[in-house]
Amino acid sequence: MRPLEGTRVLDFTHVLAGPYATRMLGDMGADVVKINTNTRAGPNAPGSPYYLMWNRNKRALALDLSHDEARTICRRLCGQADVVIDNFSVGVLDRWGVGYEAMREENSGVVYVQMSGMGSVGPWSDFVTYAPTIHALAGITHLTGVAGRNDIGIGFSYNDHQAGLHGAVAILAALEARRVTGRGQRVDLSQFEVGVNFVGPALLDYFANGRAARPAGNRLPYDEAAPHGCFPCTGAASEHAADERWVAIACMTDGQWERLRTVMGNPEWSSDPAFATAAGRLAAEAELEAHISAWTSALEATEVMERCQAAGVPAGVVQTGVDLVEHDPQLARSGFLRKIDDSHPTAGTTHADRLPIYFERTPCDGYERPREIGEDNAEVLKDWLGMGEEEVRAGEARGILA
Amino acid sequence: MPEEERTGALRDVRVLDLTDERAIYGAKLLADLGADVVRPEPPDGDPLRKRGPHADDAAAGTGSFWHAFFASSRRFFALDPTTESGGKQLRSLLDHAHIVLANTGAFAVEEARLGDAAARRQELVVVEVSSFGADGPWADYLAPDLVAGALGGAVATTGDVDTPPLKTFGELNFMVSGAYAAVAALAGLHCARRTGVGQRIHVPVHECIASALEHVFMWYWYEDRLGLAERPVLERRGSLHWSNAYQVMQGKTGAAMVTPIPELDGQLVWLLEHGLGEELLDPRYQLPEHRREFVDRLMETLRTWVASEDAEALFLEAQSRHLPYGHVKRLEEVAANPHLAARRWWATYPLEGERTVQGPGAPYHFSETPWRVGTHGDPGRDAEAILDEIGWESAR
Repeated sequence: MRPLEGTRVLDFTHVLAGPYATRMLGDMGADVVKINTNTRAGPNAPGSPYYLMWNRNKRALALDLSHDEARTICRRLCGQADVVIDNFSVGVLDRWGVGYEAMREENSGVVYVQMSGMGSVGPWSDFVTYAPTIHALAGITHLTGVAGRNDIGIGFSYNDHQAGLHGAVAILAALEARRVTGRGQRVDLSQFEVGVNFVGPALLDYFANGRAARPAGNRLPYDEAAPHGCFPCTGAASEHAADERWVAIACMTDGQWERLRTVMGNPEWSSDPAFATAAGRLAAEAELEAHISAWTSALEATEVMERCQAAGVPAGVVQTGVDLVEHDPQLARSGFLRKIDDSHPTAGTTHADRLPIYFERTPCDGYERPREIGEDNAEVLKDWLGMGEEEVRAGEARGILA
Repeated sequence: MPEEERTGALRDVRVLDLTDERAIYGAKLLADLGADVVRPEPPDGDPLRKRGPHADDAAAGTGSFWHAFFASSRRFFALDPTTESGGKQLRSLLDHAHIVLANTGAFAVEEARLGDAAARRQELVVVEVSSFGADGPWADYLAPDLVAGALGGAVATTGDVDTPPLKTFGELNFMVSGAYAAVAALAGLHCARRTGVGQRIHVPVHECIASALEHVFMWYWYEDRLGLAERPVLERRGSLHWSNAYQVMQGKTGAAMVTPIPELDGQLVWLLEHGLGEELLDPRYQLPEHRREFVDRLMETLRTWVASEDAEALFLEAQSRHLPYGHVKRLEEVAANPHLAARRWWATYPLEGERTVQGPGAPYHFSETPWRVGTHGDPGRDAEAILDEIGWESAR
């Protein structure tokens, strides 16, 4: 048994944020039924690599909601669902006649989560967003970078993952509330508001003191710690940035700095009293980093990490995707990355990065491949609505379940 | 937070918060959703109360905005778990909790003997967040946010060709592990409510970070299917998205995050209105084999165009055309955002004493069980009430 077994989730999500939320629920045993149609393209096409990443452990139901009959089936499904989730623009489900007001008339216990970009009300509620949009508007792009640059930001869609995580938290919290009250509710999740949350302490500082944070590179923006950065190692001067080797070193205390000095062989420059305190090291950061870079440049990144960690100095190889897949001993040990046994009909071999949550009594070790459009029509409609296979096949033939 | 303040979805949930930076965000999520979250701290104060930024007028070690944000909506309780009475108090807290959220090595975790607590109360949900898991060659490695992000794969993807690999601003890696800890706690609780049986749950920060890297594993696993990847690793390259179709571009004033996705035709029409992009109408660009070249040319045209435009005006015009442009906002512009103001989004965060400060509001809005930020005080204020609740008077 997995922890969410018996929970029915109707999944109208697409791209990354919503599917990441429902992927977690599916990993934990919820019966996640993903609604899809033949018209889906790009990252939402079931054979696309992007789709394959975020849609394992779900069953696939095809519904062409331009048909009245499909909308009727959809409403019946909503009547059976514990959770309905979408990350369309505001109002799309309402236009299909399956918005929250309609569905709660038949199912007062349903938890309906709408993960729109900007939330359901407000002057920007119609805005279209992807994670890079949110990063820019939330201040994350500006702040993640180096002085004088406003165009770096995070190199991946961080906020999509976090919106998914917050969506999962919201769903589970609403289910707990339902346990007490017997009633479901509507949750309006704004991916923008999730994103602004990530610069929370800086905003408190701004509102209280009028201090507006600026890009801090690899420094801690508010606390004194030095060295605190990434340093080049053997191979750092490669033609491709992806082949460069770097190590991160973060001395959070003066004691760790002293231990780093020992690891480096107590070079003469490091005994300069100016380096004795974090404040002093920060004041001479460029000089400090130049010395450390000179030391690390002659060494393999792994060697620097191992020597530092053995001495109690926080350090880690700046790992690329290849490192994570091929060399990371922790991920290998836990089987974090795995092939899914069942071959996908069109994509062939698919892979999974496992849920990073280890339940002792209800382990979540099952990973089913992403499904093709409508692959589970008959099973889902039988389980949820008691429909017979003949009826389902007829619906498929008429294009309703396609 | 005190019972009268708890309006949220988790108002019937009691949580013992034994976290440090690696999962404190998870405890915040539960607390702001109405759970009664008690956070013990050492008699000489939680070291996290020293994290910056601070109130200008605060003496060193007090008035931490970091703590006000991450330890919001809690009740605090000072105890010394190495003394007999402190140990008993800790055990009483454990006996009253539905959920324990803990980081290996954090304050009072060793003394809490979480294994014994779980064995003593089978309904208890114990979430233990470690940096790398309980065993393995890196199990004892020290990993503050920068190092965790480096080993987890986030740092390698961020930065540009002329910068080192970069960490994200603040503590965004630990906010991922914190959010995962909250998911773990609530899933464990959901199961325990149904079956009467709780469990211990382990969450490695390292795997949390690696699970939230968007394209990184896709690039490795599906290199041949992507049609974009020439190598199994994508180099760090500033804001240019893995798809080549999103990038921050400099305008005449300000910078905009520009993308023609998903409305390629709409973007093209807009360019044509400005007398640009005629060459992109070449029929060969309709062919799948020229798709990549088309996107590259389109982005090149956009870069030239955006350079002569005001970034904010461009962003607003793009959104009116359903194109998901963004405007690169500075923090002070985020604070003045008209959409957030219209939604009355900002919340009031209590500080130590009677002071308050404005800060981020709800990341989600519940129609029946509203989210709110509760009190934030010093351990002395909450101690008596907590002791009463756990029956400490009679125990004494």
